[in-house]
Amino acid sequence: MKTRRDFLRELIVSVGGVSALAACGDAPVVVATATGEPGRFHTAEEMELMARLSELIIPRTETPGAIDVNVPGYIDGLMADWASEETRGAHRRALGEIERRLSANGSFPALDDAQAESLLAELDRAAFAEAAGELGGYRTFKGYVTRSYFATEGGAREELQWIAVPGRWDPDVLVSDRQGV
Amino acid sequence: MAEATQFDAIVVGSGMSGGMSAKELCERGLRVLVLERGPEIVPERDYSDNLAPWQSPNFDNVSQDEIAQRYFRQYPGVPYALKESNKDFWVRDDVHDYVEAEGTRYEWLRGYHTAGRSIMWSRQTYRLGPQDFEENQREGVAIDWPVRYEDIVPWYEKVETFVGIAGSEEGLGHLPDSVFQPPFELTAVEKAFKQRVETSFPGRNVIPARVAHLTDATEEQRSLGRSNCQLRNRCHHGCSFRAYFSSLNATLPAAGRTGNLTMAHNAIVQSLEYDPESNRVSGVRVVDAETSEARTYTSRIVFLNASAIASALILLQSQSESFPTGLANRSDQVGRNLMDHVSGAGAAGIMRGFDDRKVFGRRPSGGIYIPRYANITETDKPYTRGFGYQGGASPLGHANGQIPGIGRQFKESHRRPGPWRISIGAFGEQLPNPDNRVTLHPTRADRWGNPLPVFEVRYSRNEEIMLEEARKDAIAMLEAAGCEEITSSPVNLTNPGNRIHEMGSARMGRDPESSVLNGWCQAHDVPNLFITDGAFMVSAACQNPSLTYMAFSARAANHAADLLAEGIV
Repeated sequence: MKTRRDFLRELIVSVGGVSALAACGDAPVVVATATGEPGRFHTAEEMELMARLSELIIPRTETPGAIDVNVPGYIDGLMADWASEETRGAHRRALGEIERRLSANGSFPALDDAQAESLLAELDRAAFAEAAGELGGYRTFKGYVTRSYFATEGGAREELQWIAVPGRWDPDVLVSDRQGV
Repeated sequence: MAEATQFDAIVVGSGMSGGMSAKELCERGLRVLVLERGPEIVPERDYSDNLAPWQSPNFDNVSQDEIAQRYFRQYPGVPYALKESNKDFWVRDDVHDYVEAEGTRYEWLRGYHTAGRSIMWSRQTYRLGPQDFEENQREGVAIDWPVRYEDIVPWYEKVETFVGIAGSEEGLGHLPDSVFQPPFELTAVEKAFKQRVETSFPGRNVIPARVAHLTDATEEQRSLGRSNCQLRNRCHHGCSFRAYFSSLNATLPAAGRTGNLTMAHNAIVQSLEYDPESNRVSGVRVVDAETSEARTYTSRIVFLNASAIASALILLQSQSESFPTGLANRSDQVGRNLMDHVSGAGAAGIMRGFDDRKVFGRRPSGGIYIPRYANITETDKPYTRGFGYQGGASPLGHANGQIPGIGRQFKESHRRPGPWRISIGAFGEQLPNPDNRVTLHPTRADRWGNPLPVFEVRYSRNEEIMLEEARKDAIAMLEAAGCEEITSSPVNLTNPGNRIHEMGSARMGRDPESSVLNGWCQAHDVPNLFITDGAFMVSAACQNPSLTYMAFSARAANHAADLLAEGIV
């Protein structure tokens, strides 16, 4: 039977050991494109767009934001290692469509934060106002951002207060009691 | 042929029923060989339950290309359970092929390794009720069960005490209570749903799901290294706490500590050898999965626990002058009457008024169960038999980003449970039909030379009508409970096999002309052959069947040990 160690070893080989920081001991395993590394799937422009969008969706607050936990690198790993050609194509088209819509009145990357946030909030409202359609790609991307964020140690532990071993079941807790999940 | 080795008993398969057969036989003092067709699972090496989310790349998803190439049948059936970190628990479809008869579909979902599917099961655990053993006779369907509920009660009790089942005593005649450990208490939403449904539908009950998780481990369970559930919900990856029941967590260690157990892995049983003079199985022929080396083991009795389908295939492959159509198949019932449970009908809705409530802990399986009421407490149905619903309520807070908003507010909305959603889905009984069967392909074989199975299974009109009604009932109960935004997809019956409850392929009965096994799971035609996986089932009932397989296994094993002691076999 192939073990996790075997799997990681193969994975490291398959990506040339450049961007997969994988430890086979007790250290956390990260198989995402490291911050600052070129994208394995995305272009530099796409990586930049994803960074801007993901931080606007999940900003740094008292807990880490999307950039802090390397959400763009996670999504790059997702596209490089998990996605089929079909999924990659849909994702790339979605990024293009998002940028096109956000750049209607000027280059989105050049906007300041307030302008960018305002435009994205408007796009988000439109995306959730319609059941499906042209903005389905944005919703899928937002799903990647959110899932990636909460799949990282910073997102899970600090924001979600995820606990590895809850140890007990309480079926009825008041929301005001901020304890982990 | 390499060797011949003598044991008192050979058990083919180490999964749910095989583990129990082995335990009981070993504890009776028999020297037992368990043949497992897959590799050994070593929990410390092969379980992945201790991985944190950030230690599993890509959300622990298997790559889409690999699914298309290797798991194209397994994954669509169990996307919730087949992940990158545990994918080796599931067979590769490109290696373990099978054939579906034209115009039919079948999902044979399985794992080849120590403990089989008992590692990956979803752990809902229910007894059959008295009616389940009687309805065939009452309705003139198929054949009568040769046993009644009362015959099995002591064995249910014995197995339940060993296994450990969390559940609540309800006193329902048609879904008898097990020997329970404390249940996982219902959430506030589930309690409200229960109260409202039971008020609106007096013949229906909403109860905590009964699940094979330890919540108050006994001394015996602790002595096997088992401890209480830690509420992690990582069960499909194995459990380092051994808190949920599996062969690997419980029965095989219990068998092993008797000193009477021998395990052989990578041992694919090809056929059973038959000696016409003694009218006994005289040997078990296996081929090594890795080396393709053939060898034969011998024993005084043989238990087939390879799964309903695999056990039938072994019999069909065991052809001789005495049994030209397969061992113990004079009735021509081997491979027939293949049943599963059928789903594909249900509903979901939002229950308002609970947004200030959340839970602590990740409940491992099931929330609520609605036992069968059709044709028990309600008799106005346009179909026979019935279904139970499995379901539960959970907050929508973590909707994978599928809620509006960006920025701090969006981010922190994940701290709150949000609206609660409750869903229920039906598990219906499939009627036995001799034309629903598995046979051997005449020309195509796997890499070890075993003929590929050919499945030909169709649902009857009864199942179709039943599920349509189950959908209507589900919507009606959600409406009665005050749900909003109720959604219910059109009925789309799960493919046969999808519920992973296959059974019936070597049914028991009183008459050797129409059944393969007697009431002790002993082959009519071959007295030292027993089959105690799902193959013996005469009807499917609608409850999850593993507990029943294990109760019949324990009963048959002790009966076989008695027969051996008396010199009868």
